[in-house]
Amino acid sequence: MHDQTGLKRRLRGAGVAFAAAALLFAPDSRAAGSFARIAGELDAASFRDLLVRQKGSVVLVNFWATWCVPCREEYPDLVRLQRELAPRGFRIVGVSTDFGSQRGAVEKFLGAMKPGFPNYWKKSGNEQAFIESVDRDWGGELPFSVLYARDGTRVKSLSGNHTYAHYRREILEALNGKR
Amino acid sequence: MRRWKTLLLALTGAVALSSVSSALSIGAPAPAFSLTTLDGKPLALADALKSHKAVVVLFVATRCPYSNAYNVRMKQMAEAYEKQGVLFVGINSNSSEPEAEAREHARKHGHTFPIVKDPNNKIADLYDAKRTPEAFVVTPDGTLRYHGRIDDNSEDEAKVTSPDLKNALDALLAGRPIQSAETKAFGCTIKRV
Repeated sequence: MHDQTGLKRRLRGAGVAFAAAALLFAPDSRAAGSFARIAGELDAASFRDLLVRQKGSVVLVNFWATWCVPCREEYPDLVRLQRELAPRGFRIVGVSTDFGSQRGAVEKFLGAMKPGFPNYWKKSGNEQAFIESVDRDWGGELPFSVLYARDGTRVKSLSGNHTYAHYRREILEALNGKR
Repeated sequence: MRRWKTLLLALTGAVALSSVSSALSIGAPAPAFSLTTLDGKPLALADALKSHKAVVVLFVATRCPYSNAYNVRMKQMAEAYEKQGVLFVGINSNSSEPEAEAREHARKHGHTFPIVKDPNNKIADLYDAKRTPEAFVVTPDGTLRYHGRIDDNSEDEAKVTSPDLKNALDALLAGRPIQSAETKAFGCTIKRV
């Protein structure tokens, strides 16, 4: 009886440990948990710092908003590209340009999308300085994506929404590039 | 000979394309237009310029959050500057926003300044307007004197540090040169046909 109870206890303990380990190390569930929330606010300076921290990976920064229909339409393709190409050294960083009053809508969207990549919030104010720190030719239209090479240099800006195949082609070109 | 003709045609095409896509520059003649306002009155830029010190041609939208963030500011500025002889004219060039929607939007937000619907985005093309909101200020001599944003913070009026359109109008009315005659308009893309 004592032995059986001990065995049950040990099995239960092992089960709990296994479940905890699975939760800790399963990449999808962990990503869904951590990236379903806003990662932080960005202004021109912190955007530059963020890019510096990404060096070594090909990065696509995608600017979006919950009210922007084409942004919402292409977002699942970005989620798919992140999952597919992350093992090759590719990362996506999302930046929501929604107003502060839309925080609930942004978190609801991220919760539904489970993007698997971090999403920041463009800090309110000084829009011109921010957009020019991203790309001097950008006028704030959405969606807007910028592709960076491994060395951090800007490869290309992609205005408007694009197909999965178009993004994939551009990303693979950057991944295969020398920079 | 055929090769030269092809080259000439290609060059002509390139020039035509660049002249269509180049932005209107400050000091250039502002393109004329004549349309009917949402409340059924005829409106011609040339006529408006005869009776005003300046006309603000303002590209607006009903569904763009950036444009909508300025609804109160547009109303206040249009009313304040009307008393000083400046006419605000709203242009809705978005193919996705029907005339009835634009009319209802103007009513809801108390926009009493004239607003026209721009079928086939012809005015937007003439001005090379790309976004909403985007402002063009024209003086009675028919020249463009300011082009760009309303101010530098669409989200929060209290945090505006550079009220560019206001500065331009105040300078014009005071007979001073405009310090920043060209700024970058930040907003939604005009939904063209």
